[in-house]
Amino acid sequence: MSFLLQPVRAYAGLWRRDWLSAFGLALLVLLILLGALGPYLPIGDATRIAVGPRLSPPSWRFPFGTDELGRSFLPRVVLGIRATFLLSAAAVAMTACIGALLGMTAGYVRGAVDQIVARAADVLFSFPALLIGLLIAAAVGPGETSAIAVIAIATLPLFVRVVRSVTLTLSGRGFIVAAEVAGASPLRVMGLHILPNIGGAIVVQLTYALSIGMIIESALSFLGLGVQPPNASLGSLLRQGSAYLTFAPWLALSSGAVLSAAIMSVNLVGDAVRDALEPLEGRSLT
Amino acid sequence: MSALIEARGLTVAYESQGRRAIALDGADLTLGRDESLALVGESGSGKTTLGMAIGRLLPRQARREAGDLRIEGRSVFGAAEAELRALRRDKLGFVFQNPMTALDPTMRVGRQVALALGRGGGVRDLLARVELADADRVMRSFPHQLSGGMAQRVVIAMAIARQPLAVVADEPTASLDASVRDRVMATLSRLRAETKTSLVILSHDLRMVAHHARRVAVMYGGRPVEMGEVSRVLANPAHPYTRALLRADAGGRSPGARLEPIPGAPPVLGASATFCAFAPRCPMRQAPCDGTRPELRAVEGRLVACHFAEAALAEAEASR
Repeated sequence: MSFLLQPVRAYAGLWRRDWLSAFGLALLVLLILLGALGPYLPIGDATRIAVGPRLSPPSWRFPFGTDELGRSFLPRVVLGIRATFLLSAAAVAMTACIGALLGMTAGYVRGAVDQIVARAADVLFSFPALLIGLLIAAAVGPGETSAIAVIAIATLPLFVRVVRSVTLTLSGRGFIVAAEVAGASPLRVMGLHILPNIGGAIVVQLTYALSIGMIIESALSFLGLGVQPPNASLGSLLRQGSAYLTFAPWLALSSGAVLSAAIMSVNLVGDAVRDALEPLEGRSLT
Repeated sequence: MSALIEARGLTVAYESQGRRAIALDGADLTLGRDESLALVGESGSGKTTLGMAIGRLLPRQARREAGDLRIEGRSVFGAAEAELRALRRDKLGFVFQNPMTALDPTMRVGRQVALALGRGGGVRDLLARVELADADRVMRSFPHQLSGGMAQRVVIAMAIARQPLAVVADEPTASLDASVRDRVMATLSRLRAETKTSLVILSHDLRMVAHHARRVAVMYGGRPVEMGEVSRVLANPAHPYTRALLRADAGGRSPGARLEPIPGAPPVLGASATFCAFAPRCPMRQAPCDGTRPELRAVEGRLVACHFAEAALAEAEASR
């Protein structure tokens, strides 16, 4: 097992030791734990109606107050964390695989394949994500699936571009040529030699794509195109709260604050990961 | 006699942004089995292009315009992808200039050598054969944990892993420390002799060539201009360029002796030369040099591409 732990230890050694990254990481872990364990925590039921008075302000019994149907808002926010993270993580993970594959093929094989992939990525990149969201929601109807599709389309060009460009610079390196000389097939070269060497770039891109994914998911849900009731995401809760902003501001404030915290934690961790894997100076991993 | 590698009139041009530069201008070369050949020449003389053409490892911008290169009688340029892969895998080995970039930084050395070996196995024996002490530690290491000399030995091990017919070494010791240079070259020479593999060394180090190669091909303007036994060619060069090269080389000079630089700069050919490419820098230049392209011909036991090779040899004889 030590060969599996070794790279983990190597990366842990590169982690930037400052309070900001530590704070980001702690916040992210806390939010993920909340989202994962939400249904099992003793904070009340997220969907039960009229457990308290309508739109009551925060109290010991309802820390985030109650909404217009008398539901306790804290479990709903926890439910929203879960939906926001799950949807964007699923979409981004899927996109990372497809994007890495496309980018690597384009950068390594070059030629016509490269032209098609790179130009298609440019076209996708120039498309506003919300417009695609409206189109897809109109075509397949609003919901989780269309939210995932929109995030995937919006973040795909990020991966394709970055992976393609790092693959391009890597392809001229001696060990790639050496592998080709040793008679390795293109698939083998990409899987064995290129992928491990661009792993760092993919991981860095992954964190940025995750925060973009969360913003898109929230925006779609805010517009009513994403998660549908009685399920909730941070975006749909914010929309719900915005309707009562003047006399029940705790709804919008609590969900908005949690959404900001979530995106900030992902960005902080992303910055720390980038600093660890792509240092501007000092020892290079390659 | 069946040559292992044979280039005939190979012409390769690089094209970028509409500009064309001829890197190989009708190059002829033969390499037999169990033979060591050094390609020497200044930067830009085409030695790397010719060496890499052996495995069709030319950059994307390079285009073969004429001629061919055959390995065991089969055209390298006419080979299909799969055939080319098999050829590179089973018949050729390459040693590159910088061993640090020739090894995958993310993979342990043992695994890389095992990949080069294929199904056979025997990584430890192979590393022992290239005189790497403590093979077990080397196998567990990542490339950045090795010294340059050790890394080059690993690269050599990978090049000979499948008992190729020929190994092409592009300036194999240029990036190494002077103290390990000779030892790495000695290992390479010993392995070549043991395995009866042919070796092509691309180098500009004439002294090293004299020690480790049996035959030498002096490249100029994209083709070999003098080719023959090292002992014969370097002791008594027939081509004015070879003679100038030797006069400019510090290796064989006694301290205090003057080195004579070659006047002018190597040519950048826009088209195949219809004259002698060395003529503008040649002290023996005469009328035919600018009008007729000299072809390789046998003169006193070597091949020379010079109209006045006999005169050059006679002049050298007279001044001795």
